[in-house]
Amino acid sequence: MKPRLRQALRNRWLTLAVRILLGLVFIAAALPKIGDPPAFAKAIWAYQLVPGRLLNPMALALPWLELVCGLALVLGIWVRAAGVWIAALLLSFTLALSVNLGRRHPVDCGCFGATAHRTEAERLADMRWSVLRDAGLLLLCAQLLLASAAPRKP
Amino acid sequence: MLHDSRSTSIRILALAGLALLAALLSNRLASPARRLAWAGSAVPLSPASPGPAATPRPEGIRPEPVAQEPGKGPLPHSAPSRKSPPPASIATPIPEPPSSSPVREVSRDEAWEAFQAGTPFLDARRGAEFAEGHVAGAWSTPVWEADLEDRLLSFKAARRPGSEDPIVIYCSGGDCRDSHLLAERLLRDGYFHLLVFRDGYPAWVAQGHPIEKGRP
Repeated sequence: MKPRLRQALRNRWLTLAVRILLGLVFIAAALPKIGDPPAFAKAIWAYQLVPGRLLNPMALALPWLELVCGLALVLGIWVRAAGVWIAALLLSFTLALSVNLGRRHPVDCGCFGATAHRTEAERLADMRWSVLRDAGLLLLCAQLLLASAAPRKP
Repeated sequence: MLHDSRSTSIRILALAGLALLAALLSNRLASPARRLAWAGSAVPLSPASPGPAATPRPEGIRPEPVAQEPGKGPLPHSAPSRKSPPPASIATPIPEPPSSSPVREVSRDEAWEAFQAGTPFLDARRGAEFAEGHVAGAWSTPVWEADLEDRLLSFKAARRPGSEDPIVIYCSGGDCRDSHLLAERLLRDGYFHLLVFRDGYPAWVAQGHPIEKGRP
C-alpha cells in the first residue's frame, strides 16, 4: 500500500468516526436481542446452520459479545481486540446470509431483533441488502484494524 | 510487536469471557418468557423443511383401512366427527379415514369444527402474542420459551388428553413453523392425533371466531 494512502486511512478523525459508528451499530443490534433471547434463538434456527445443541448458548452469548465489543469501540478501550471480534462476527453473519441466499431459503435477518411478518420475496431482497450492509461494515472494520495496528518500524 | 499481539489475544479472550459472564447473569435474572435453557431446547429442532412430519403411524392405532384415499393431503371432517358428543345417534361409526401421518395440517373449517367439538387448542406463539389475543380457551405453550415443559404439564394435568385424542396446534400462519415444532414435541410424548391449524391465528380472527385476550 502506498504510504500516502496508508497515512490517509490512519487519519485520527476518520478512525474516531469509524470506531464510534461501528460501536453504535453493534450496540443497537445487541440490545433487542439481549431483551428477548428466545426470539433470537428462533432467528438463528431459521438459518439452518447451527446444530440444535449450540442454538441456545449462541442466542444467549452472541448479543452480549456484540454489546461488549460495541461498548469497547465507543469508549475506545481495547479497540483492536474488539475490532477483531467484530470482524469475525461480521464475516460469519455475511457468510450465514450468503449461504441462505445461495440456497434461496428466505430468512429473517434477525440482525436488529425480530421483524414483522414479510413475504419470501421481501425477505430475499432484505437479505441482499443485509449482505451489502455487512460488507460495508467489514470495510469499516478493516480500516479500524489497520489504524489500530502498531506502526511498522521503518 | 510480539508483546502487542499477545496482549491483543488475551483481550480478545477477555471480551468473550465478559460477554459469557454477562449472558449467564442476565439469563439467570430473566423472566421465564425471556429465558433460554443453556443445555438446549425442549423442542426437537432438526426439521425446518416445510410440510408436516412424515413419521408413519404406529401399527395397531390405525383403523381398518376400508378404502384408501386416492390422494393424500388433508382429509376434511375426520377429526371432529370422531369426537362429536351424541354417540347414540350414530348407528354405524364411520371409521376414521387412514391418515398417513400423526401430524396433519388442517384447514380453517376443520379447525372451527374441532373447536365446536371441544378439542383443546394449543397456542405455540410467544407468550406476549398470546396475551394480545388468542383462540378462546386455548392454552399458551410457547415453544421458544423456557417454561414450555411446565405449561405442557399443566395442560396435560388439566385436560388429560388420551394419546389418540385430537389436539389442535396453531401459531401465526404463513411460514410460521412453531406449531410444527410443538407437534414434533407432542409426538415424542406419544400423542398421535395432532392437527396443525395451518393458517393460524390471523385466519381465526379474519373468520370472526371467538377469541380472548389476556395472560394465560
